[in-house]
Formats: sequence, C-alpha cells, structure tokens
Amino acid sequence: MKRLVSLPYTFVVMNWAAVAGLYYFVTGKKDVWLGSKSSHRHKR
Amino acid sequence: MEIVFWLSVAFVFYVYFGYPALLLLWRRLAARPVKKKHWEPTVSIVIAAHNERQRIEARLNNCLSLDYPRRKLQIIVSLDGPTDGTEFLVWKYSAQGVQLVHSREHSGKAAALNRALRGATGEIVVFADARQTFNRSAIRELVANFADETVGAVSGELLLLDDSQQEAVSDVGLYWRYEKALRLLESGIHSIAGATGAIYAIRRELYQDLAEDTILDDVMTPMRIVLGGRRTVFEPQAKAYDIVACCARAEYVRKVRTLCGNYQMLAHLPAAVVPWKNPIFVQFVSHKLGRLFVPWALIAMFVTNLFMLHGIYAVTFSLQAALYLFAALGYFLSKREVAAPVLIPDESRKAA
Repeated sequence: MKRLVSLPYTFVVMNWAAVAGLYYFVTGKKDVWLGSKSSHRHKR
Repeated sequence: MEIVFWLSVAFVFYVYFGYPALLLLWRRLAARPVKKKHWEPTVSIVIAAHNERQRIEARLNNCLSLDYPRRKLQIIVSLDGPTDGTEFLVWKYSAQGVQLVHSREHSGKAAALNRALRGATGEIVVFADARQTFNRSAIRELVANFADETVGAVSGELLLLDDSQQEAVSDVGLYWRYEKALRLLESGIHSIAGATGAIYAIRRELYQDLAEDTILDDVMTPMRIVLGGRRTVFEPQAKAYDIVACCARAEYVRKVRTLCGNYQMLAHLPAAVVPWKNPIFVQFVSHKLGRLFVPWALIAMFVTNLFMLHGIYAVTFSLQAALYLFAALGYFLSKREVAAPVLIPDESRKAA
C-alpha cells in the first residue's frame, strides 16, 4: 500500500519542484541555494 | 483540445521512456568509449564548506586515506564564512598538508570554489562536498579518464545509502538510479549534461571563475567544458557515499534547488540551447529542458482531459485522477514519517 501511494507522490513532488524552481528563479529567492543549515541537505 | 492532449502525452512519454530508448539505440550505433589509462597526474581536491564542524574531520580523514600518492595530492578546504569553528578543526590538519582558504564573509559556494582554485596546483581538480565520503580508489578511477585527451571533466557516482548502508531502493533511491542509468548512456555517446557535485573532476586549465550567485557549479562548469569542445563523462567506479533523503519531501528541497539552477544556467549559458554550438543539444534538450517542461505538459494533459470525458478519454482521466489521488494519499502518509538517522558509511565495507 505504501509503495502504491509513495511512487505517485514522489513523481508529483519531483515535477512540482520544477514549478517551484521556476518561481524561485524568477523571484530571486536566494535561500534555496545559500541554505546550508539543513540537517538533510545533500547534493546531486 | 485533442491535439494538445496527445502532444502532452507524447512529450511526457518521450522524456521518461522515449529518450532512454533513443539513448540505448544511439549507443548501440555510435558508442564512443573513453580511452582510459591508469596514470598519476597531480591532483587537487577542493572542498568548499560553510558550517561543517560535525563532518569536516571525517571528510578530511577520508581524503587522507585515499589510494593515491600523497606527494601528488593537494587538499584544499575553502571555508565560506563559517561561524561554528570549522576553521579550527581544519587547522589541526595543516601538519598533514591540508591547506585552508578561509573567508570571513559568507558569499556562497561558487565564490569559495573560485578562491580555492586560485591556490590549486594539480593538473586535475577534484571537487567534493564536506558531507560525503569517497571510496578509496575514487581518485584513480576519475583521473584514468583524463588519459583520453578529448575528456575535460569526469563525474563520479553518488550512492545513496539507506540505514543498513546498502544502496537505497526507496522511491527517491529508485529515481536516483534511473537518473544514473541515463547518465551512463549519455556518457557512452558523448557527454552528460552536468556532473555530481559530490564527486567530479576537471582539467584545471579548463576552469573558469563562476559568478558568485551560481547555484549549480556542478552543471555550469561541465557544460562550459562541453561547449568548449571537450567531453564530460561518467565514471561509476568513482563513488561518493551519502544518506538517502528520508522522504520525497526532503528530496523535493534538493530538487527545487537543482531545477532553479537549471533555469539559471539557461540564462548564463544560452549557447546550450543553440544546436550548432552545443554538441549534446539533443541530450540537453531531452534531459534537462524536458524535465523543466514535463509539469506543464502534465497540467495540460489534465486540463484538456477535463473537457473530454468520452470513450478512451474517460480511461485516461481515470488514470490521471488515480495518480493524483494516490499522490495526495502519499502526501498525508509522508507527514507521519520521521527523518532517517545520519550514518557514516563503513568505508572498509564500501571501498571498491
């Protein structure tokens, strides 16, 4: 059951990130790349 | 309406399935293997960090234990306005040859990299983050690719581990595996359209200073190298280890940054979308640009389908509705998830 819902969720979240990424780029919100305090940050 | 719907369907399927199939065929017809050779050029490892008091010692110990002649290895830590005392921990390693570049101002990773490169002397520069560790042979595996004169940059592989220190098979882990499979195919044809920030290397002479607001140095620098006529290839034997994001929401934060960076790269490197200037134009458009446009195609699919609910369109609408319903359920379930513990991979088990 969990996999059944988490796969679509991951797919939608990854795609929503592209919309949010455009928003951050257009508005120039710096915190998406200067934030380094997150305990769960990792790089591609 | 029907045309928009089917074009959107075709676009989404091309990006996720058609493009990988195209790469498979392309590689079969025109593979360009890298002429690797094991050699030992001088290497500079550059670690850009801000506040990494918790991790910097493990990172430096890992660098000092790599299987590469120490006299040919320069290790530079470029600190970008740390406020947690990271610099004092790095100083302790100066006796072992670790060089510290310390800026009191917090001006971003790109500026930290620019400062570090001014003091780098290695023929090859390896970029690393404070968070991850390398396998022992990582440097050897990376530099072997530079024996091929056409290669300008090499990306290693980032392995996301779960809490049992095995490669993650969660949804985020599966997504990452899919990405790596694409990179392997792209690399076999010409180049990948960006490296892995956790582990990549370039010829030092090809480095160009980055604008201070650069979000993705690991895409900008390799793409500049590709546009300059050299290849950026993928080396899966050079590995960096990290912990998989606990859930899609944590991965979302990273993904927003990446995609925001892709928009920025388009603004900074317009030549990337000019077919006669970009030797990997098809790969760049299909992989990088495609991902930026998929959500809009999904919206177009859903909206146009709302106005066509007869015959086959009733089925397509049901499938889409089920997708978003399950995604919503996944969202509510994810709110109950807890963060995974941060583990340090056991290098002796993971070393290749």
